[in-house]
Amino acid sequence: MSAVAETRIDDAERRRWRPWRGIGGLLLIVYGLISVYPFLWMVSGAFKDEREVLSSGSLIPQNPTLDTLSETWSKLDFGAYALNSVTVTGVSLLMILAIYPLAGYAFSVLRFPGRLPFYYMFVAIFFVPGVTTLLPLILVQSELGLLGSHLGLELAFANGAAPLGIMIFKTFYDTIPRELRESARMDGCSELGIHFRIYLPLAKPAVATVAVMCFVSVWNEYIVTGVSLSDPSRYTLPLGLQQLLSDNVVQWNQVMAGSLLVVLPVIVVFIVLRRFFISGIQGAVKG
Amino acid sequence: MATRSRRLRLRREQAGDRREAITGYLFIAPALALFALLGVYTVAYGLRLSFVEWNGFSPTRIFVGLDNFKDLLWADAALSESVRAAVGRTLVVMVAAVIPTVLISLPLAIALNSVGRLRGFLQTLYFLPYVTTGIAVFYAWRFILLPDGGLNSILTTIGLGSLAQAEGFLGNPDTALWATTAVLVWSTVPIGVLLYLSGLQSIDGSLLEAARLDGASPLRIATTILWPLLRPITALLVALVLRAVLQEFQVFLLMTNGGPLDKTTTVSLLTYNLAFGNNAAYGYAAALGWLLFAFSLALAAAAFFVLRRKG
Repeated sequence: MSAVAETRIDDAERRRWRPWRGIGGLLLIVYGLISVYPFLWMVSGAFKDEREVLSSGSLIPQNPTLDTLSETWSKLDFGAYALNSVTVTGVSLLMILAIYPLAGYAFSVLRFPGRLPFYYMFVAIFFVPGVTTLLPLILVQSELGLLGSHLGLELAFANGAAPLGIMIFKTFYDTIPRELRESARMDGCSELGIHFRIYLPLAKPAVATVAVMCFVSVWNEYIVTGVSLSDPSRYTLPLGLQQLLSDNVVQWNQVMAGSLLVVLPVIVVFIVLRRFFISGIQGAVKG
Repeated sequence: MATRSRRLRLRREQAGDRREAITGYLFIAPALALFALLGVYTVAYGLRLSFVEWNGFSPTRIFVGLDNFKDLLWADAALSESVRAAVGRTLVVMVAAVIPTVLISLPLAIALNSVGRLRGFLQTLYFLPYVTTGIAVFYAWRFILLPDGGLNSILTTIGLGSLAQAEGFLGNPDTALWATTAVLVWSTVPIGVLLYLSGLQSIDGSLLEAARLDGASPLRIATTILWPLLRPITALLVALVLRAVLQEFQVFLLMTNGGPLDKTTTVSLLTYNLAFGNNAAYGYAAALGWLLFAFSLALAAAAFFVLRRKG
């Protein structure tokens, strides 16, 4: 008896909710399309020739061609620029992962005077607009003879990653039980040993998070790179892409192919390591 | 005997504390050294620069005191006019970016939260704009917004040809700011979805179940239960979007370079152009950078205050 009544309510419920489900589903599909829309055009443009790319408003190429990709590859000097991008991104990541786990350990575990003020100082970098420090950064780099070099960029990116790196490692280390450190100390392990043998191996998710987030931002970086590098042989991919658009007659099929080549590694890394990325943003935002 | 051993232990503990403090400083030393050079020294350099007149080439820097700030704010008619216009535009973009970001990402998160199997896939889709933000996607949007681009062709196809822009959405001074702001929203919505999604997952399910059994419609549940509960997240999201509008100028630099007719020059792009544009004026650039910094700090403090009160 009551079971029948319940099913009836359920039926009414379901009917009442059906339009809302429809709206929700529609919203999810439409926004999914909006999210990928520019990527669809990158792929579409990359397989069109230079005439079709401007004349046809259709996403599907009429005469798909691979020439555009190969032309762009050689024109962009993709191999050389990709190597530069990999170098700058890789060295920046190494610096970031060499410096900030230790700092995070100090801020989380060790007690020393000035701990909190120093911590807040690093976090506050987040609120300094990049453009405020951009000009002085360039001038300081030129004073130090670092302007135009990859090292200058890598140091700047490593410094820029301070708020994120320190926050994520500190927050993660906060969750590791103190007893681990106490017993390691009883066994005569040094702080350095405790960090590298116990804390860091436990913090693999934090390492992955910081690495993914820094990879994405350094790989895409255009502003600092653009004003500091002047020698085209040191250009990274975003600068190469920018060169494509500064041609007298812009070949949009090549710009789209170039854009595709630039974002593809980011998309692959993101899809593979999505879990770490999402927890990283949640952590950074809540920290 | 007992007191001696206690004193000994106390001394040993003090030595341990000192050693721990030294270790602490050593562990943060590399981060601190980098920050001292590229953070503190650079920022101090910028502050010094804001009190001089210098075009970057001439060997002399003339100390002008607060004149740069005065010129930017009122003393120099043309310059202060362009600063005021840029501030006005920045405020417009703030409002025009925040409201759609909230209005799109909250319903999207609610819908996504009720999805089972496809959730991971959809989350990946919605997140692409955030991870790929940069020159490549901005160029793709530029292409879409061209006179012969995808947007105009969609509008014509669905019978809204009257809305299509003959000069392209970025070429028309009346639509350029809205088009760039829309791209900005496109790249900030993912953060909103992620934040709201984690907020929704922390809400007690039985509360929603009770409302549902009482016959409340999803819209009512959203406006009377979810919205108030998610208010701290909304405040955080608003703060993050405002910060992005104030500080990020890539979208304006790469899509319109401030044009047409300066219609898309925001404060941070103006600062960039004063430093790296055709007529470099380093003193003005540094001073405007500092004004922007002060404004960002005030905004961050306000956001912190609001979050504290509500959270």
